[in-house]
Amino acid sequence: MASKGQSTVTKPKRRKNVNNAGYFFILPFMIVFVIFSVYPVLRTLYLSFMNYKGFGEPTPIGFANYARVFQDKFFWRALWNTVKIWGVNIVVQLGLAFLLTMVFSDMKYKIKGLGVFRALYYLPNLIAATSVAFLFKTLLDWQYGSFNQILMSSGIIEKGAQIKWLLDPNIAPYVVAIISAWMWFGNSFIVLMAGVQGINTDYFEAASIDGAGRWKTFAKITIPLLKPILIYVSITSLIGGLQMFDIPYLINGKYAAGNPGGSLQTVVMYLYKFGFATGSTKQVGYASAIAYSLFLIILVISIMQFKFASRKDD
Amino acid sequence: MKMKKVIALALTGVMAMSMAACGGSGSTAKSESASSASSAASASTSKDAAKDDSKDSGDKLVIWTLTKDLQSFADRYKEKTGKECEVVIVEPGDYPTKIQAAFQSGEAEPDIIVGEPKMLDTYYEAGMLADLDQFGAQDYADKIVDYVWKKGQDADGVQRAISYQITPAGIYYRRDIAKEVFGTDDPEEIGKLYADYDTVLDTAQKLKDKGYRIFASDGEMKVFSDSKEAWVKDGVLQVGQSRMDYMDLCVKLYQGNFTAFADQWTAPWYTAMAGEIPVYEAGTDLWNDDERAKAEKNATETTQVFSYGLPSWGVLTMRDNYKETEGKWGVCKGPSSAFDGGTYIGISENSNRKEAAWDFIKFCTLTEDTMEWWLDVSKGDAVSYIPTLEKHKDDENATYGNEKLYAFWQEQAQNIDLSLVTPYDQAIGDAWANAITSIKTEQSSKEDAISAFYDEIESTYPELTVNR
Repeated sequence: MASKGQSTVTKPKRRKNVNNAGYFFILPFMIVFVIFSVYPVLRTLYLSFMNYKGFGEPTPIGFANYARVFQDKFFWRALWNTVKIWGVNIVVQLGLAFLLTMVFSDMKYKIKGLGVFRALYYLPNLIAATSVAFLFKTLLDWQYGSFNQILMSSGIIEKGAQIKWLLDPNIAPYVVAIISAWMWFGNSFIVLMAGVQGINTDYFEAASIDGAGRWKTFAKITIPLLKPILIYVSITSLIGGLQMFDIPYLINGKYAAGNPGGSLQTVVMYLYKFGFATGSTKQVGYASAIAYSLFLIILVISIMQFKFASRKDD
Repeated sequence: MKMKKVIALALTGVMAMSMAACGGSGSTAKSESASSASSAASASTSKDAAKDDSKDSGDKLVIWTLTKDLQSFADRYKEKTGKECEVVIVEPGDYPTKIQAAFQSGEAEPDIIVGEPKMLDTYYEAGMLADLDQFGAQDYADKIVDYVWKKGQDADGVQRAISYQITPAGIYYRRDIAKEVFGTDDPEEIGKLYADYDTVLDTAQKLKDKGYRIFASDGEMKVFSDSKEAWVKDGVLQVGQSRMDYMDLCVKLYQGNFTAFADQWTAPWYTAMAGEIPVYEAGTDLWNDDERAKAEKNATETTQVFSYGLPSWGVLTMRDNYKETEGKWGVCKGPSSAFDGGTYIGISENSNRKEAAWDFIKFCTLTEDTMEWWLDVSKGDAVSYIPTLEKHKDDENATYGNEKLYAFWQEQAQNIDLSLVTPYDQAIGDAWANAITSIKTEQSSKEDAISAFYDEIESTYPELTVNR
C-alpha cells in the first residue's frame, strides 16, 4: 500500500524531469535568438534615446531623436514612397493571385497540373533580389533595354522619346511596385489556393444548385471563408512591404539617396543612410529612432487592419 | 528511462558542438568578407588571405588599406626586411564601417589602419589610433612636409598618423593634342587655358572643333572647386560663389557636349587615358557592362580626351592606364591651387604588434631608400619626405615630357590648406553632386535643385546652420 502511495507521488516528478530535458533542447536556439535577435532589438531601443556616432560612448538625449523623426519631412517622404510602392504592389499582387485562384478553383474549368503552375508562379520568388534588380535594370534601361526596344520597333514610341522607366521620379516607384508584385504574387497565390482548397466543396455545390453564378459564388462564399487567410496575407505583406529595401536600393542605391529625385528612398533606406552610408558622420542614435518609429507605425497599421477585418465578421 | 536521458544528453551535446562550430565559422566568414572586399588586391594577396582564413595571421602585420599603394609597400618591405604583411584592400565606401566595427569589437587586428584627411578627425575622436610619439615620432618632425605632419596630429598635438605623400593637384594634359590644337605644349601656356571656368569653356570649344573632348567627364574640376572653401565652417554650411560657378560649369560642359560622357572612375574614363574612346550618349549607365557594350556598338563618333584634373597621386592612375600614350602627357596648373586625399598610416590602438607596426610606418614614410624606390615605381608620386623632395627638385620626369614635375608639385603644395577638409565633405559633396545631376539632366530647375540640397543638408545634419 505504502509503495503504491509512493509511486503515485513520484509520477508527477517524472513528468517534470521530461520537461527539463525539453529546455535543454531549445537552449541552443534560445542562445542564438537572444544574442542575435533579442539583444540587438533592445540595444537599438537603448540607442534610439542616445546621441551615438557608432564609436565612443553614447550620450543620452531623451526623446530628441523621436521628436526629430516626427519633424523630418524626408522621413515622411520616405514613408510615403514606401506606402505608395507597397500599395500599388499589393493591389497588383493580390489581384493577380485572386484571378489565378478563381481560375484554378473553378469547378467547371477543372484545370490540370495545378502543382506545375504553382511551382512556375512561385519561381520569381526564388530568384535572389540582386538578380531581380539587375535583370530589370537591364530590361528597363531607357536606351538599350528590351522594353523600350520592343515599344520602338512596334512603333508605339519614337526614338528620342524612350520611356525612362527607372530614371523618371513619376514612373520609377510604380515600376518597383510592379517588380515586387511579380516577385510575390506566386507566394500569395499558393496561400490563397491552399485556403480555397480548405473550403468544404459542399458549399460550392450547394451554391451551384441554387443557381449562383461564378462571380456570386466567389464574392459570397470564397471571399468570406478566405478572410482569415486574407488577413494573414495582407498583414505579412504590409510588414514586409514597409521594410522594403533590397530592390529600390539595388536599382539606384548610390548614397542611399533613392534616386531619381529621392522617389525610391524607402524608410529602411533612409535608416540605412544615417546608420551606415554617411561615412564618418554616422548618426546611429537617429537611425535607431527611425527603426523604432517604423516599428510603431507597422504595429499601429497592423492592429487597425486586424480590427477592421474582424469587425465585419459581427 | 536512463537510456532516454543519455540520448537527450548526447543530442544536447551535439547541438552545443554545432553551436560552437557556428561560432567558429563566424570568424571565417568575417575574414572571407574582408578578402572579398579586396577585389582590387592582387591575386596572390587574395590567395594569402584565403590561406589565413582558418588560422591566426601569426606574426604577420595585418594592414587594412584603401589603395593598392600599401600592397606595393608591403611587398617592398618583405623584400628588404624579410618580414611579411597581410594586406587587405577595402572599398572606400565600406572602410569606415569596417574599421569602426573591428575597433569596437576590441579585435587586435588590423594592426595598421589608413585614412584620408577627411576621415582622420573621426579616428582621433574615437581613440582608434595609437600614440606614435611613444616611439619617438617627433624626432622626424622636420623630415616631413609641415602640413602633412600636422594633419597626423590629434587636437592635443599627439602624433597619430603619417603620410608618405603630398597631394597637390594639377591638370594632366596630352602634349601631342596640345601642339596640334594650340600650337604649344608648354605647361605655362597650357595652364593659361584653364585660368578660370569661362576660359575652360572656350578651351573646350576649341578642342571640340578639332574633334577632341576637353574632359572625359564633367566632374574634372571638382578637385579645384573643393579647395576654395570648406563645406562647413564654425557649424555653418557654406555654399559660396565658387560652388555655384562649379555647378554652372558642370551643367555647361554636359549640355554643350564638351565631354565624352564617361563618368569619373568608370571603365571608359580610364580607357580614355590610353587614347581613343567612343563619345557615349549622355545618360548611359557606364557602370553596367552590358549597357556600355551596347552603347559602344551604337556610338557614331569617337574622340580622344585632352585632360584630367587630378592630384599628384594621379601619376599612379596614369601609370596603370596610359599604355601607348606613355610619354605624351604633361601637367599644368588648374584654375586655382588645389589638393585631394592622401593616405595617412597609423597603428590601431588595439594592436598587439605596435612596435612592428611602427617599424612598418617608418619604412613607408621616413626611410630615404623607400622614398627613392617609390618615386621610381610610381613614376613620380610626390612624397612628403623632405630630403627626397629636395634632392629631386630639379629632376626632369621623362614620362611627362621631361617636365620638372617635382618642382611643380612643391610649388602647388605651398597653398594647401587642410583646414578646408571636414568630416561632412563626403555626404555634402554627394548631395551637391546629386543637385548638379538633376540640373544638367533637366530633371529640375536650378532653384529647385539647390533648395532640395539645402533641405537635405538641414534634415541630415540638424546641428548645422543653413543660410539659404
